[in-house]
Amino acid sequence: MPALSSTMTEGKIVEWLKKPGDPVARGESVLVVESDKADMDVEAFQEGFLAAVLMPAGESAPVGETIGLIVETEAEIAAAQASAPSSSAAAVAAPSKPPAAATAPVKPAAEPAPAAKALVAPVAASPATAPVAEMSNATTTAANGRLVATPRAKKLAKQLGVALESLRGSGPHGRIQAEDVERASGQPLSVPRVSEGSSSYAPATAALAGNGASAAGAAGAAPLGQAFGSPGETVAFNTLQQAVIRNMAASLTVPCFHVGYTITTDRFDAFYKQVKAKGVTMTALLAKAVAVVLARHPQVNAAYSEAGMAYPASVNVAVAVAMDDGGLLTPVLANADKTDLYSLSRSWADLVARSRTKQLKPAEYSTGTFTLSNLGMYGVDRFDAILPPGTGAILAVAASRPCVVAASDGSISVKRQMQVNLTADHRVIYGTHGAAFLKDLAALIETDPESLAL
Amino acid sequence: MNSRLDAILFDPISIVPFQLAWGWQRVLQARLLADSSGPEALLLVQHPDCYTLGRGASEQHLRFDPAAAPAPLFRIDRGGEVTHHLPGQLVAYPVLNLSRHGADLHLYLRELEAAVLDVLAVLGLAGERIEGLTGVWLEGQKVAAFGVGARRWISQHGLALNVNCDLSGFGAIAPCGLIDRPVGRLCDWIPGLLPEQVQPLLQQALASRFGLTLRSPTLAERLWR
Repeated sequence: MPALSSTMTEGKIVEWLKKPGDPVARGESVLVVESDKADMDVEAFQEGFLAAVLMPAGESAPVGETIGLIVETEAEIAAAQASAPSSSAAAVAAPSKPPAAATAPVKPAAEPAPAAKALVAPVAASPATAPVAEMSNATTTAANGRLVATPRAKKLAKQLGVALESLRGSGPHGRIQAEDVERASGQPLSVPRVSEGSSSYAPATAALAGNGASAAGAAGAAPLGQAFGSPGETVAFNTLQQAVIRNMAASLTVPCFHVGYTITTDRFDAFYKQVKAKGVTMTALLAKAVAVVLARHPQVNAAYSEAGMAYPASVNVAVAVAMDDGGLLTPVLANADKTDLYSLSRSWADLVARSRTKQLKPAEYSTGTFTLSNLGMYGVDRFDAILPPGTGAILAVAASRPCVVAASDGSISVKRQMQVNLTADHRVIYGTHGAAFLKDLAALIETDPESLAL
Repeated sequence: MNSRLDAILFDPISIVPFQLAWGWQRVLQARLLADSSGPEALLLVQHPDCYTLGRGASEQHLRFDPAAAPAPLFRIDRGGEVTHHLPGQLVAYPVLNLSRHGADLHLYLRELEAAVLDVLAVLGLAGERIEGLTGVWLEGQKVAAFGVGARRWISQHGLALNVNCDLSGFGAIAPCGLIDRPVGRLCDWIPGLLPEQVQPLLQQALASRFGLTLRSPTLAERLWR
């Protein structure tokens, strides 16, 4: 059930415009959802077949609920119908802004694991959203001797001139994976996949329009964890990895400590949903929040230097970004406290695009005065970060998740909460500084996120 | 806050049959679907006597046999229950690309309500919203009804504001599915008020709420001769 409004909690299925078994074209309306006095046609974002309707017309479903399944080929309909609705799925179709989300060519498969795509809309992801595990690639299975390869494998085979027919697929039921093509061509995959602290990149999360989680072009990633080498190998460090080693080792000379805080994000999440439509990214929003609070806590923006405590002239928030080739970059949003959210979002998109192609100038990744590291999109509930050299503090942001919360008056409620964890250089930043900073940050996120748009 | 958006105003002088205006809306919607950066549009009309049902509406709210309706009955692609249109009621159909207006259907309904509240304020009337009952209310009577539909965030349908229409036709239905809430009209507060006096106010309020710069259609954009 797609979210058609930030205030929509459930929607009523007015009508299924397609019957199970019907083919659906990309962009074709599949059903009509009503919320309040507004109707919206919900469209499919890739072609296939409506395999199953899990929620009949006339029923209401909470936002995010799986209401139907779409499969790629007619042959998969039966399998999709047989597999439980809860089987993993890439969500399909939602009316909201297709572009980002829809582009990921997620392909459903008939078999157990990556099954049909669920017709749902994940509720907007804030720093949170536990990513639905990877399913991007599964193409269909050939019991009938038909050549089966993932879309990415097909694309790669074309690029690298590998004949798919000559390959033996390592995927489920012999499906040819990108890795198989890569192995056959002797070429390593070298598309830097940038993973950064924004819900705009959720590793092939259910692609769903409009709402949070967009599946970045994570086509290749298999359900496996990423590795730099293969089992049995020892791989020499590349330049980027050597840089990481130097920075990590340098951090051992810094006496660091950690302070954590649990922040309720319902209001922040709601605000994010509002501004997301205007192109604001979670990364920009978090960076802005941190920057505004840093401006009021200059001590936490300070760093150790030989000459003494160094107070930077501006608040430059760096955001940690992991590259697939082992690099760790920290593109910088300069003057983030004084820059409006929309400009920050645009700058961030530009920085990420250029970091993928390694076109960042040194000043664009080395002038951070404070660093933000967000792993929320992986669903982690807490972690701590290592301090980048030359700065005084880094904030680790985990996923925001629904939690049962007891208030001081004894009442119990469910709220979305995320843990943040500050790592700070105790030569410059003391426990009280860190604590006061986190308290203010929490207050801003919990009670006044709207002020970030001003 | 956002730059003024180009929008075409269609305000035919004569009373427009429902199907005709619905057809126009679909043309306008199709144009925006084909070119999502194209101009938005605002259609301001009055309809002859008719009843319309939202796509998910229940026929239980009709107090007549749908096969023998007292006036033409249309089941249409909008949200909401049954409503009644007739001369003396101003109907506004904004065909907007809601992605430019927050991409939020509830927000859109609230903005439409706000536009009507603006109109009432200009007339010196204190309209109000009732939480959970989309509409604009004056002293407990519903003076404006809302129902919208959207495809890829391109809206159609909109709002109906009762100015000096005959209210007896509402007796044949439970408007919007509400049984014990009376329907009202502005002329009961401001005697002698005419739709043509309210229309410019509504046009102005909608334009300002949605940041539209309204203009006449070009020759190619015309919906009728």
